[in-house]
Amino acid sequence: MVEEEKERPEEKTGISRRKFTLGVLVASVLGALGSVFTLLKVLSPGKKGGGYVTTIEPGDGLVYAKGSNAGASIQASSMKTGDAVLAYPAGKTSNPANLVQLIRIDEKDFKAPTDIALTDKGFVAYSAICTHLGCTVSWIRNDKALSASYTECFCHNSIFDPARGAKVMGGPAPIPLAQIGVKVKSNGTLVFTSGFKGPVGPQV
Amino acid sequence: MIFKWFNERLEIDKFRAKFLSKTFPTHPTFLLGEMAFFSFVTLVVTGIFLGLLYEPSTKMVALFGAMVPASYASVVKIDLLPMGMIIRRIHHWSAMLMIAAVLAHLTRIYFTSAYRRPREINWFVGLGLWGITMLAAFTGYLLPYSQFSVTATSIAYFISKSVPWVGDWTSRLLFAGEFPSDATVPRFFFMHVMLVPVALLGLISLHMLILVKQKHTEPPSNRWLKESEGGRKLIGIPVWPEQTVVSMSFYLFLLFVVVLIATYIPLNPVETYGPPSPGTPVMRPDWYFLPIYGFLKLIPGDLSFSVPGGKITPETIGGVIFPGFLALVLALIPFLDRAKQDQHYMANPLRRPFMTSFGMAGIVFICMDAVSGYIDVLHIAPAKMAVYVVFATLAAWGVSFGLLRSYNRKRGSDVKT
Repeated sequence: MVEEEKERPEEKTGISRRKFTLGVLVASVLGALGSVFTLLKVLSPGKKGGGYVTTIEPGDGLVYAKGSNAGASIQASSMKTGDAVLAYPAGKTSNPANLVQLIRIDEKDFKAPTDIALTDKGFVAYSAICTHLGCTVSWIRNDKALSASYTECFCHNSIFDPARGAKVMGGPAPIPLAQIGVKVKSNGTLVFTSGFKGPVGPQV
Repeated sequence: MIFKWFNERLEIDKFRAKFLSKTFPTHPTFLLGEMAFFSFVTLVVTGIFLGLLYEPSTKMVALFGAMVPASYASVVKIDLLPMGMIIRRIHHWSAMLMIAAVLAHLTRIYFTSAYRRPREINWFVGLGLWGITMLAAFTGYLLPYSQFSVTATSIAYFISKSVPWVGDWTSRLLFAGEFPSDATVPRFFFMHVMLVPVALLGLISLHMLILVKQKHTEPPSNRWLKESEGGRKLIGIPVWPEQTVVSMSFYLFLLFVVVLIATYIPLNPVETYGPPSPGTPVMRPDWYFLPIYGFLKLIPGDLSFSVPGGKITPETIGGVIFPGFLALVLALIPFLDRAKQDQHYMANPLRRPFMTSFGMAGIVFICMDAVSGYIDVLHIAPAKMAVYVVFATLAAWGVSFGLLRSYNRKRGSDVKT
């Protein structure tokens, strides 16, 4: 025989105690999850304050980036054909995105897609940040055949040809290093004449 | 007297009867897991010393007349303290030993099929421990803030950023915004000294609790011993005092070896690397990241697919999909190689041609990927090296499978485990 259930107070509202508790629980868990989203958003700041954002402007002088004379103006006469140095724009040396590789190449060796207008007396400059994963590129000088010298990133062995617009000759780099215009001033120092003609830093 | 006082309050007798007399089956390879745990203990102790002196900041400060990041300066200062450099080296060598021990332990479990029912859960916990150990090593990389640290972390940042859909957001979450930035070091410091060790401690406790409940798989010789003696459930030595003495002497020996190595072999000489500066020297990651590094070198730079909402680049393939795939294979193993009944004895690897040869192929594949990290030194073209990797892997598989098959045919297949 089935006993008749006693009338409970919640039946008046149509919601059982269990259902109500469950509802409150689900609502509070959802609310807590919502706040987690906000917290995660706060913990992953946006684009500002980091990354490779160059601040080079035309007219900035080129200075040595490293070595004993770091920060000193680069003299055009100090570089012979086949030489390369790492350079920063004067006064903007704390931003790694501003690092360029200044190379002196025999003017006859320049081939497309190098922008000849951005070179001067064989001086050509490219971003020194590898477009693969952001290491700094190095100059591999070939003393037997200067025109066979090239730029290499030692991290994953990407190879760029500075005489051909820093075209990728090997390795995993997806795009060439961005060229930037340079000019020799009358006092023998070098200045930038343009911004980068392409993206700077890793292309991911 | 003192024991009695505590015993009356904490009932140590009962605890001793229940836990300290637990049986520990003995086998030399059972010390591999302990090796990992003891390395962790060393890491915590030396880490406390280093953490008290380290400064997690990239603010530029003067050090011997040069302006360097404060974190780099604090590590140089630690090296100059009495005992400072040796503690730092012990920390680093212990980290390497911990990863090596975790890998050796994993290999032991794999080849003796100790991951089978009922121990699948502990296999997953173990894989998690391995992953977090790698995270611990990775977050520790950046802290000295040397040229080497920054380059390595930068590479990892761009790899994680290259992942389509989620990469941009997760990389900013992990590295506290775009790298390089001043926010990354404090975040990595907190992860390295707090989040990661706590996660490790939690998972180690879980690993141990499950082990206490399920016991080790026993050496197969125990089976015959039990049959002849009759009635015994588990053969081994009790936790207290025998196993404790074995473990403690093992730890002291381990510590001796680590201190000896740390004394004579320098590691991560931040003074030689110098603070972050333009120009990247030839650098390779520590050995446990070499397979990923080598695999990245093998993938052609133009190998990328467009997917809706993004692009899968070689960096994603080599740095995320490749290790993810390896982890997935390992995680699936208890499901692929199942036992109908609970397995309580170590399997003989020689008696399991398929799984053993699969494992051998896997090890050779990983090692060949690590070798690929040196193709620039060996002067091998990536495409050629890729062929070698595939060939060596298949050869390892084929040869070991063939040998084991003929071995088992000769011995007959009465024992199948």
